Parts: sequence; C-alpha cells; structure tokens
Amino acid sequence: MHGWDEHTGELQLWVTAPTEPEVFGEALRAVAEILSENGPPAAPGRELREIALEAGDRGVLLADWIGELAFLAETDAFVPDSLEALELAGKGLRARVRGHFGRPPHLVKAVTYHDLRFERTDDGWRAQVVLDV
Amino acid sequence: MELRALDELLWEVPATGRDDMRVPARVFADAQLLADIRADDSLVQLQNVATLPGIVGAALAMPDIHSGYGFPVGAVAATGLPDGVVSPGGVGYDINCGVRLLVLPVDAAELGARTEKLVHELFRRVPTGTGRSDGLQLSGRELDRVLRDGAQVLVERHGIGTGDDVVHTESGGRLPGADPGRLSERARARGSGQLGTVGSGNHFIELQRVERIFDAGAARAFGLRDGAVTAMIHSGSRGLGHQVCTDYVKRMDAALGRHGIRLPDRQLSCAPASSPEGEAYLAAMAAAANFAWSNRHAMAHDVREAVRRVLGDGAAAATRQVYDVAHNVAKRERHGDRDLLVHRKGATRAFPPGHPELPARHRDAGQAVFIPGSMGTSSYVLAGRPGSMERSFGTVCHGAGRRMSRTRARKEIQGGELRRRLEADGIVVRSHSDRGLAEEAPFAYKDVDRVVGVVERAGLAARVAELRPIGVVKG
Repeated sequence: MHGWDEHTGELQLWVTAPTEPEVFGEALRAVAEILSENGPPAAPGRELREIALEAGDRGVLLADWIGELAFLAETDAFVPDSLEALELAGKGLRARVRGHFGRPPHLVKAVTYHDLRFERTDDGWRAQVVLDV
Repeated sequence: MELRALDELLWEVPATGRDDMRVPARVFADAQLLADIRADDSLVQLQNVATLPGIVGAALAMPDIHSGYGFPVGAVAATGLPDGVVSPGGVGYDINCGVRLLVLPVDAAELGARTEKLVHELFRRVPTGTGRSDGLQLSGRELDRVLRDGAQVLVERHGIGTGDDVVHTESGGRLPGADPGRLSERARARGSGQLGTVGSGNHFIELQRVERIFDAGAARAFGLRDGAVTAMIHSGSRGLGHQVCTDYVKRMDAALGRHGIRLPDRQLSCAPASSPEGEAYLAAMAAAANFAWSNRHAMAHDVREAVRRVLGDGAAAATRQVYDVAHNVAKRERHGDRDLLVHRKGATRAFPPGHPELPARHRDAGQAVFIPGSMGTSSYVLAGRPGSMERSFGTVCHGAGRRMSRTRARKEIQGGELRRRLEADGIVVRSHSDRGLAEEAPFAYKDVDRVVGVVERAGLAARVAELRPIGVVKG
C-alpha cells in the first residue's frame, strides 16, 4: 500500500508492506503513478531493466531505488510497469523491472533524505520519503 | 514555539529555543504572512538550519518562506570561511534556478493581436516539459567549456546571445572555480540535450506588460518603460543540477561521522567548505550554476528568434536583457570584515546601489531583482537597498511562495478550467500538461504584493516596476 501526505512544495510518499522487498515493489508502483498521467497501461510493457544498487542503510537504498527509476525515465524514457524480481542482500539490492517506453509528462527531479524513514512496524514495514517534483 | 518580534516585520526564535541551535532563526514577515508561515513546518526547518556548524548571524527567512526539505524554501544561511560548512541541500536540487528578464522594443498595445502568435512561437521554439529535451547538442568538450566558463562560451563559440547579455547577468554568468571533472557521468547524462530547455514544475516563460513604474530613475537604468512588453524566463540547471545535489548529499551524508557533525535532518548533510567533500561540491555546484546561466542564456536567444519571426529583425536586435538573477546558490562573499559562504535557497541576492559587482548601467540604481508572482498575477522588478547588506546578507525573497500543496491545488481546480479562466483574463496560455497547470494555480501561492511589500518596508529592496502577464508558456 502507498499514499501521499500533504507537503507544501513537494510530494511526500509513504509505503507500507509486509516485507522489505515489497516496500521496494510498492515504491515502484508509486513512481509509475507519478510518471503516468493517464493511469497504468492496459498490458505491461516488453522492456526489461536490470538494477543493482548498494547503500549504507535501507532508507538510502530506497531513495536510490526511486532515484534509479526516475533516472531511467528521464534519460531513457523507460516507464516502469511491474517488478519481475527483487532480491535484498546485505546493503544492496538486485532487481529486474518490466516497463515500456513513453514520454512521461511528470518526472521525479530528485529523492531527498528529509524525514527519510524505513522502519519495522507491528504489521511489517513502513517507509517514507519526500520527492522533489 | 517561542517567537518574538524584533520589530514590526522581523520575528525571531532565539538561539536558546533549542539546545542544538547555534544562532537565532529570524523571519521577515507581517502578521498575516506569519500566520501562513506558522501553518507548516518551515520555522522548525529554519531552526534546523540554525544548527549548522559555522553558521553566523542568524538563519534567515524571507516572507515567501514555505516548507521544503532540509532547508525551507526562502532561506538564507551564511557560514564563515574557510571552515564553516557548505550544505548542498542549502542550495537545493535545482542549482542556480533563477530568473532572467528581457525587454522588447514594443509596447503591449502595439503587440496587440500578435501576442498569441508570439506566445505560440515561443512554445514552438523553446522545448518545455520533462526529461531529455531537444536542447542544444554539445560535444563533451564543448559541454565542459560551458560548465567551466558559463554563458560567455555560447557567445564566443556558438554565436548565441550577446556580450551585453553576459554583462547583465549576476556574476557575469560564470561562477569561478567550476570543475567539470567533479560531476558524475550520471549528471552529465541527465544534462545532455537539456541546455536551452525550460523543464517542468514551476518553470515558465512569461510575456508581460509593464503595468506601473514606481521608480523612474531605476526603471530607466534597467531599460524599462511604461507599457513595454517584457519576457521573463524562470528555469535552472535541469537534470544536471539535480544530480549534482543528489550525488553530494549522499557523499556528505556518508562523511558526517568523520567530520563529527550531528544534524537534526539528514537532508542538511554538509561538510566543512575546506574539506575534500566541501571543495569538490563547490566546484561541481559552480559548474552546474554555469550550466544554468547558459541554459537561460540559450532560451533568451530563442526568445529573440521568436521576436524576429513575429516582429522582424529590428525588434529582435533591439530586445535587451535587463538582468539575470540566481535564487538557488551558495556564493563566497565578503560582508563587513568576514569572508562568508552565503547559501540562498529560494532567495535572491539584492546588492545595493554602488556595489562593485553591479553592471555599470545599474550601479546607481541597485541590483535588479525579479520576483515572479503566480501564474496570472503580477510580478515585480525590485532594486537592492542598503538594508539588505545590514540585515540579510544582501538578500531578498524570490517569489510569492507556495501556500498550498500540489495535490490540494489539483483538487481545487482542473487544469482546463484554469486555462479558460486565464484566457478570459486576456492571458494566452500554452502548456503540455493540464495537471502541471493546475498545480501552479494562483491560489496555491501567497499574495505576491504582500510579500514584496514586506521586503520593501524592511528596507531590503524597493519596487521599480510591476509587470502583468499577457502570455505564458508553462513547463
């Protein structure tokens, strides 16, 4: 599950999920929502991208993950549709993302560390990140 | 939060307000703006800024302050050199986001029905919207030259714009010390093809009419006359600058422990300006700032080409640049007997008359400052006043300042409806995105007249001219 909290200038995303990898999957769906003004495509695209990242902690890893998806959209016009696979190991992740080529009308300019959270809850995990749009 | 009035327009959270504050946090505002400001967490963010190692005087906020991330938008923080910190978040992701103003040799009345054609021509010529756009395609070596030496490179090597444009740009369109080698490949990739493009968000090109002159002498010095058409360009360093900030926030965040720095917000990540991380960031930031000035310079060229197409060669040649200001940058400046690094995030330099950094034509008037209103409302041309040096490290506000989230703005109005309302007011609108239009609705911003009134009454700057929109190309 994900949603958006009120923020005067930017977008504040929250994500909840039963497991850590699912937090990343939910974040991908949130990014896809920003990138698609007209909702998700009827069928997932055929393009695949492999992503490997490392970071000092899970919060920064999540920021890097969103940043990587935004980078692919900005420089490669790659719009993510779904997560094919994601594996967390140590301080890093490896993932395969399915998507399509498009011209997103909105982009994420940057992913901030402001109030960045990645925490265990009674039900699983909750993360929060502020995006500069 | 304890907030005390230092005078009618300056409010202070004392340094004793929190254990970790090194200096007071001060905000310029009247009672009504202060109520808006207190409605979000911008004053807490300003207190956070007051904890930065090496900060001097006070963490300052302008009346257009609103909640940001790390620094609030509309903040000024000066740190002592050489060992005070530099904070990439204190500059922001859009390094050297700023405003350029051109004045055309025609009056709005003369332009008349050709306004729509001119707006359309601007929309056709200047790439707008997201991502890698159809901007100038430069080789790697040429991009390096731009990053190192700024807008002058476009004049000398590409025949774009004029030397007079460069003279009438803050810092001559070039921050010294820029090192393209300090940029990541990712930053270069994001900037590739984006030189000469507006981008998205709150960026725009607006055609305006000089509605009112407040200071005839300063207006004359700036080349402004009653009724004249102006073109205002608001944009920055695009993906290149965003990536520079991203890279160095991460790098400094990882080095905080080594520098013994503890912060209330990770987005404030910083390093001593004299440290390897600090020096590298300042060299990369200067390169991104030079990219931004070149970006606006290239768009100004496109504005002239649009004028040429609609009004002819003579009008294009006589289109003059008033000035160009940065409102997201950190600069080395001398204030009193101190060498400081002045971070301005959503705040504009406003040096007073006689300052040696001003171009000769403006020296008696004070630095030209441009305060865009929201879409459909007035913008203002101001001139810096001596009070800015005494009270705000030579700084004023940068705009009206948001008061409503993008999500809420979209709930309040549809982009199509806003477009119809603006056009009913005689404003020609061109935009790729109705959603983006709705997010920038006038009611999402504070009252620019009130914001400008505060900085004028506080003695930071004085009004020179009011500009009313007649056409807008929205990023």
